Amino acid sequence: MAREQLQNGFLAVPFALPPVNNLKQKSSKPYHYMFVRKHQSKLESEQHCLFLVNLPLLTQLENLKKNFHEICHRNDTVSHVQDLLHHDEFGLHEVDLSSLTSTLMSVDEPNEKRYTPRNTALLQFVDKQSVENCWEALRKYASNRKQEHIVWKFQSPSIETFTSFYRPLPLEYLKNDIHEHMALFEQRERQAQEEVQSSIVDDDGFTLVVGKNTKSLNSIRKKIFNRNPLLKHEKPVKMPNMVDKKVKKDFYRFQVRERKKQEINELLAKFKQDQEKIKEMRSKSRFNPYS
Amino acid sequence: MASVKRVASGGEKPERGSFTKKALVQAITESQHENSDENAGSSSSDDEEATASSNGEEEQEEEDEEEQEEDDDEDDEEDTHSHMAKRQKLSSQDIQIARETAELFKSNIFKLQIDELLEQVKLKESHIVRVEKFLHKLYDMLQEVPEWTGQSLEDVEKYFNGKVVSVPFVDPKPQVKSTQYKFNYLKPDVSLVGSFGLKTAIYQPQGSSVDVLLTMPEEIFMKKDFLNFRCFHKRSVYLAYLTHHLSVMLKKSNLEFLHLEYSHFNNDPLQTVLKVSCKEKTSSEYNFYKTKFSINLIVGFPYNFFEVKKLLPNKNCIRVGQDNETPTPFYNFSVLSSSSYEHYLKFLHKTKKQTEQYKQACVLGKLWLSQRGFSSNMSHSNALGGFGNFEFAALMAALLNGGGLNGNRILLHGFSSYQLFKGVIKYLATVDLCTDGYLQFYSDYNSTATVTTSKYVDEGFQTPTIFDKTTKVNILSKMSVNSYQMLKIYAQESLLMLNDVVRDQFESMFLTNLNKVRTIKYDACYELDIPSINVLLSKFGPVEKISFISFENFICNKLANIVKIALEDRIMAFEVALVNNKTTFPISKRKVATVPNFTSIRIKLLINPAESEKLVTKGPENREEFAHEANDFTLFWGKKASLRRFKDGSIANCCVWSTSATDSVVSSILSYTLKLHLTEDCKLINNSTSQFQQLLPLPNLPASSKTSVLNLSSYYNLKKSFDDLYKIMFELKLPLSIKSLLPIGSAFRYTSLCQPVPYAYSNPDFLQDVVIEFETSTKWPDEITSLEKAKAAFLLKIQESITETHSEYRCFFTRDESIPYNTEIITLNILTPEGYGFKFRVLTERDEVMYLRAINNARKELRPELEKTFLKFTAKYQAAIRHTRTLENISHSYPFYSPVVRLFKKWLDSHLLYGHLPEELVELIAIKPFVDSRPFTIPGSVENGFLKILSFLASWNWREDPLILDLVKPDEFGEQETSIGASELDSSVLKKLSEKLTLAQYKTIQTNFQQLRKEDPQGLQTQFFVASKNDPSGILYSTGVALPIATRLTALAKVAINLIQLHGLNKQTIELLFTPALKDYDFVIKLKVPTPLKLSSGVINADEFKNLNEQLTGFPKDLDTMSNKMDPTYQLVKYLNLKYKNSIIFSNHRHIGVTRSKNGDENVITGLIKPVFKKQLKFKVNMDCNVKPVEKDLVELNKDAIFHEIGAFCQELIVGFEANN
Repeated sequence: MAREQLQNGFLAVPFALPPVNNLKQKSSKPYHYMFVRKHQSKLESEQHCLFLVNLPLLTQLENLKKNFHEICHRNDTVSHVQDLLHHDEFGLHEVDLSSLTSTLMSVDEPNEKRYTPRNTALLQFVDKQSVENCWEALRKYASNRKQEHIVWKFQSPSIETFTSFYRPLPLEYLKNDIHEHMALFEQRERQAQEEVQSSIVDDDGFTLVVGKNTKSLNSIRKKIFNRNPLLKHEKPVKMPNMVDKKVKKDFYRFQVRERKKQEINELLAKFKQDQEKIKEMRSKSRFNPYS
Repeated sequence: MASVKRVASGGEKPERGSFTKKALVQAITESQHENSDENAGSSSSDDEEATASSNGEEEQEEEDEEEQEEDDDEDDEEDTHSHMAKRQKLSSQDIQIARETAELFKSNIFKLQIDELLEQVKLKESHIVRVEKFLHKLYDMLQEVPEWTGQSLEDVEKYFNGKVVSVPFVDPKPQVKSTQYKFNYLKPDVSLVGSFGLKTAIYQPQGSSVDVLLTMPEEIFMKKDFLNFRCFHKRSVYLAYLTHHLSVMLKKSNLEFLHLEYSHFNNDPLQTVLKVSCKEKTSSEYNFYKTKFSINLIVGFPYNFFEVKKLLPNKNCIRVGQDNETPTPFYNFSVLSSSSYEHYLKFLHKTKKQTEQYKQACVLGKLWLSQRGFSSNMSHSNALGGFGNFEFAALMAALLNGGGLNGNRILLHGFSSYQLFKGVIKYLATVDLCTDGYLQFYSDYNSTATVTTSKYVDEGFQTPTIFDKTTKVNILSKMSVNSYQMLKIYAQESLLMLNDVVRDQFESMFLTNLNKVRTIKYDACYELDIPSINVLLSKFGPVEKISFISFENFICNKLANIVKIALEDRIMAFEVALVNNKTTFPISKRKVATVPNFTSIRIKLLINPAESEKLVTKGPENREEFAHEANDFTLFWGKKASLRRFKDGSIANCCVWSTSATDSVVSSILSYTLKLHLTEDCKLINNSTSQFQQLLPLPNLPASSKTSVLNLSSYYNLKKSFDDLYKIMFELKLPLSIKSLLPIGSAFRYTSLCQPVPYAYSNPDFLQDVVIEFETSTKWPDEITSLEKAKAAFLLKIQESITETHSEYRCFFTRDESIPYNTEIITLNILTPEGYGFKFRVLTERDEVMYLRAINNARKELRPELEKTFLKFTAKYQAAIRHTRTLENISHSYPFYSPVVRLFKKWLDSHLLYGHLPEELVELIAIKPFVDSRPFTIPGSVENGFLKILSFLASWNWREDPLILDLVKPDEFGEQETSIGASELDSSVLKKLSEKLTLAQYKTIQTNFQQLRKEDPQGLQTQFFVASKNDPSGILYSTGVALPIATRLTALAKVAINLIQLHGLNKQTIELLFTPALKDYDFVIKLKVPTPLKLSSGVINADEFKNLNEQLTGFPKDLDTMSNKMDPTYQLVKYLNLKYKNSIIFSNHRHIGVTRSKNGDENVITGLIKPVFKKQLKFKVNMDCNVKPVEKDLVELNKDAIFHEIGAFCQELIVGFEANN
């Protein structure tokens, strides 16, 4: 058995696992380890928290609460769990497209959005005492090797859980959802419009405020289009401007000579390049007709 | 070679015997010098004979140089620095080379590649020296053979009685009674001939042969000896006597490591030669074992001794009874060619002297031919016969002296090796030497003559002909019509390659060996087994014997005729080859083997996909004037022939065939006709075609087992159903009207693994995607969630109107997950009364901006994820439209593409890879052997296409090479050629209209690839680069493919190709090809779903009786219940992959109804733990995997816990769990 406290302050909290159909049991009992540390943050919303790493499958507030209560109970203490924060087991909310495309529908700035790494979460308690109590209990539970470990009961999804993903969306629900959302959106949009309107004209009547997502401004548009990952590896093509097009290129003798020279140099350069290529191919023995 | 030297320098008639050794030595020493001369670049004294044209060439070069110097002067004025000038001078030479190659060769790089290749295949100098040492010795030994004259056949028999050596008499063996003439041995005239003599020999891994010609002195023969095998019998005795003395001498001079055996030269049973090779390595100075050379001692007849006119191909030289009419072409050719080896060597040597690059061009030709399997052997042998190095060289020599319709020169002496080679290929590709005309030339032309002597004559002999007016030899005598056809096809393919200015075709041209895997070179191969061969032997009567000489030749010819008439334009070309046809035999034996000299016959076909599966073989119309043809037709087809009335009212003789899902029409025709015309019990064996076709899922449709694999009607039905819906939708009254409905589902491009079957909604491809675009509007919300909701609102409107007006259509909505992180996409699914389903999604002008903006606004570490999201969006909504349109369009030109890609998808799914690869990527990889088939032909069968994909994957190096696809219809060879004849305006217009990739586009894609590899040289991020006009970036579909998946694909293909190369194709190997290697994974979970999904996926087993109760006839009343017949394992694996994204890759069979079990209720999940997590790691908060503590800060993957989690996750489905260590 390993050490229960890691150097960086994490407790390794073991949970025994129940047997599973068709899985051969090994002689040693399987355990799941959850790593827990006290969470320190200045943020108002993240006070009284434990930082949890490696939550078991389909963990929800309910079964977490139940197991932690059990641990506290064994240690004759009480703690009150309030919420499970930033838990995103399947990484479905890693990216919030909505807030990245517009500020209209989201509450806070995308840059200030809080998140924890994958496979971690914050468990929030009602008050400081609860955190302390729970932490103490966990510490004792983790270090006590003789006791019977708590069995973590997984929540197994049924076949219907999986097939229900194929089910049609209830029509009424869909209609309502769309209706509500669009109403909210229109309201927000109107509001935003009004705000822009109010700031657009200053005393002289000249102020222009362009929100960063405004679509009409060409430079911003271009900047966005430069983000296209498909063009990342493409070399930008330089467009000839009108002046270049009109200028005669064979007016002076030096121009002609210059051009000739350039052509020959190009030819040579290409030739040299080809020779290099051949050398490289030879080193890879690409000329063996019998390979 | 010795006499060549003499002719080239003097031209006087040689004295026999006495002179030759000196000359041989001289010639040999010269050969060593010649190479060094060439290297030094100076011309040898022999170059006095240089022709006017090559002089002209030199003048041209001088002029160029002068011009160059002028340029240099000007440069000097500007920069007087002396060493600068020196540098300039140096480079001016380079410029010269650079300029020249650009003009004389296809491109610079092509010329450099050719140079490099020629260097590679050069014979090793030390090997030449070694074998020459032995040749000297051999020559000395030959001089010691005592003369032997005036022997009757009886004397001969007595002489050889009790000796090891037998006389290799040709059939029929002479009888003592009737043989009046005498047999002699007089000293031969010895010379080197063949490619070694001409010095065009190259290194070949299997070893090269040196041909030594021993010309029998004229005194031995009478003028009429060419008749009735007399000259051959005399030669046989001559050879046996020589062999006997040689073998005695070898023993005496301690050269026992040498091995002597008789061999049929070029597989011609009339030309027995003595083959000398080394058995083993010894310390003797004459041992040339290491060089792998073998020496052929060819006994020739004196040149021009027999009257050549009487040996023309249409003359009879073997008299059987009163018959002196039946032509004996093979016999005559054998006599003539035996008398003209030396003559031809002189002819070629003269050409070589006149044409600087002739030698190099010959080497190129030699490589080109050998990579395609052509040789000088008689065409019935186990290769494409009748056109080898000699024929290529002779044709080139003839074309240097004319060859056009008016005798105009096709090739010029000053041409570069590339131009010479291309000229010959073009001639072969475009000029018909069989049906419509032939080439005639003189092999004794006077080099000073100004008139050309070769000419194309507009009159065909129905046999390949290049006729030498001097010797009366048809150079192509050994070639059959079908191998000529094959040669022509390859020449045409190669000409297209040489004309291709966009791609580098060098490798396909010279480096790829097409013969490595038989089933890849040919579309179909059959093994013909004839148990009662005696029936055929009895048909090999006296007339056949004299016209075909050997039974093998006779039967190949017969077979070829049957195949040709039976299959007509269903095939492009074919090959007939004998299996286990021996050509060498011990010197103690009289002949090679008992007849038949083969165990079975192989028929290999190149199929014409456009015609191969047609149901009717149409014969002549049923009218008086065609009575004769009609008779022939019924005679050939027997009972199958019948009269049929056609739509246009005509009545014609035809045969009607039936198609089948597992067998080709070609197979059944072949089988029928061979039984009819060869023997009734002959068996046509093909182990693979039906095996492969059975692997394609059989749709649960009426008569599906009788439907050809090329039949796409199931797809047309789906499209028709869509077209009806399309019309309805365009008539709807909507706030914004529909601009376009663009289908993007795989069934629209005929590539879905399962064919569309009505009501088969368990099939994952059942709902076919369609993109809706509305009229342009600026009012779409500028926020992605709201945008999706707005789209859904429009879809709701559509649903309302359709339900109102067309209640036979049923609509429902689902959430779509095709774009990661966009959880708000709603699709409208419409079920049509015909039983198909379509899934509509909306594309607006706003979408792209949204995704791009998200990339822009995201924090840095999230950007890669968002870029992937953007790519997914582009792929699904925009590129899919182009992709579908392009593939649908060109797939009509590649009939086998649809079944091949479906089989390939099945293979991928069998190996659990399909779920990891975007469909479009799979389809693009699969189309490679079709759009970029060279040097092979476009696949003409399911197995051929499939194996070509595997062999491509096995050999392709994704790290170094971009896959650039030109998604266009195939080049028609004819088109390109006529466009040369047409005015330039036409061809330039044609070029503009052509949708082929231009050089510029191709280059751009290449630079894209180089850029990508600069950032990711090992391809860790993106292994596959698959670009086309539709996607020049090359990464659109391949970005998300994980490295282990990509490398596994290559590894599996390699294993598959190895398996086929080692064990061939049969039931077992094909089954093995489709069996997943579950042991390769870290753990395997076996699943069973409660409802079998096979029938509801629209798939049936061929051998099962259809259970009418289980036929799908409609959708359930409550659409909610449809989900009961959906595959839960797909969702399961999806969530497992999401949860363990960072540490484990899960795979499963995507098409549960097709891949694993008989009923479609089983599946497996395999887990591949990423290598990083297989060792102990330092604990980190963001390590994202299930670990357990080991010591201190070290942790390791907690496999037990993960297995328990998975076990709990799949609880109701799991039936087995195996962990592999």
